[in-house]
Amino acid sequence: MNPDLIEQLQLGANGLPYQVPIHPNLVHLTLGLFIVGIAFDIVGALFPLEKPVFKLLAIPATRSNFFDVGWYNMMAAAIITFFTVAAGFYEIMLAQPSAEMQSVWGLKAMETMLWHGVGGVVLLLLIVAMTIWRGFQRFVWNRDRARQVQWLYLLAGLGIFALMFVHGTLGAQLAAEFGVHISADRLLEMGQDPNLLLK
Amino acid sequence: MFEYLPPLNDHNLPYPDTMHPIVVHFVIAMVLFAVLCDVIGYFTQNERLYEVSCWNLWFSTVSLFIAVIFGQFDAGLSDPYTAAESTLNLHTLIGWSLSGILAAITAWRYVIRSRDPKTLPAPFLGVGVLLVGLVFFQVYLGDLLVWVYGLHTVPVVEATREGVFQ
Repeated sequence: MNPDLIEQLQLGANGLPYQVPIHPNLVHLTLGLFIVGIAFDIVGALFPLEKPVFKLLAIPATRSNFFDVGWYNMMAAAIITFFTVAAGFYEIMLAQPSAEMQSVWGLKAMETMLWHGVGGVVLLLLIVAMTIWRGFQRFVWNRDRARQVQWLYLLAGLGIFALMFVHGTLGAQLAAEFGVHISADRLLEMGQDPNLLLK
Repeated sequence: MFEYLPPLNDHNLPYPDTMHPIVVHFVIAMVLFAVLCDVIGYFTQNERLYEVSCWNLWFSTVSLFIAVIFGQFDAGLSDPYTAAESTLNLHTLIGWSLSGILAAITAWRYVIRSRDPKTLPAPFLGVGVLLVGLVFFQVYLGDLLVWVYGLHTVPVVEATREGVFQ
């Protein structure tokens, strides 16, 4: 974004109109819900193997409950991720990282931001598609089967974990290397001492 | 002591990125979703959501112990400047306390579920709401450490090594 346009807003040292960015906090919810949703579907799918373990530990467990967790967590991930992506785009538009720096992956700030932005939209689409797929398995195709989820669905989930890892690392680099929206890093760039100003 | 560690990178870490902020996904998301499921389940009489809540709560408890361990690694290597110290201390104190509090709440839930999985006593719901408040505060403190004080970010680590902070 053009720096003159950003200057039209009243922003703090971190380049935002509030103290800490919103997007990284919503990311906890997107990732936690999606990953745990798939994990519990895997637990449900492999239930016959685990049965003796639950019995040994005296934990009452019903197979269909694991699929409930898989379904509700996935649906919650799909809903919250719209907000995660929206907050991400708002904050990426206000980002003003250094133009010279390069990340450990050899990408400059603009490339990192573009890939992280495109990746965010792709992941949102994938999460929504997975939720719809999961809904069909739950309510139409596998309603009366002991194993509610297809192996292919679980495999797709694991593939999305890998994509999330790459995507999340790009986001982490924007923060921890480029210092986007981090008060102390912006102050250091302006030649100020955060130790005196952030007391 | 530091000579026993592998060489530290420009985040002052012996591994590529901070681990604690990744592990806490599974504490924050699972606690908040467990309490949300309890609240919705309570008011809509949907006992299926109680099970969803139970398993999420259990997952968050296990994750919290792992989060504290990685938190100690990251914090021990963060070399905080004076302004960041008190926030890091409070975040550490609440983090350890939360692992006890959350384990106790999960144990209570196990007893409730063993007796009758289809009903949830209202006091448990109240404790859940208090727990969410504490988790929010703890997340806010963690946010300050990363997004205000920039611990483990390249510019802050560089400034610390060059002795910029007064």
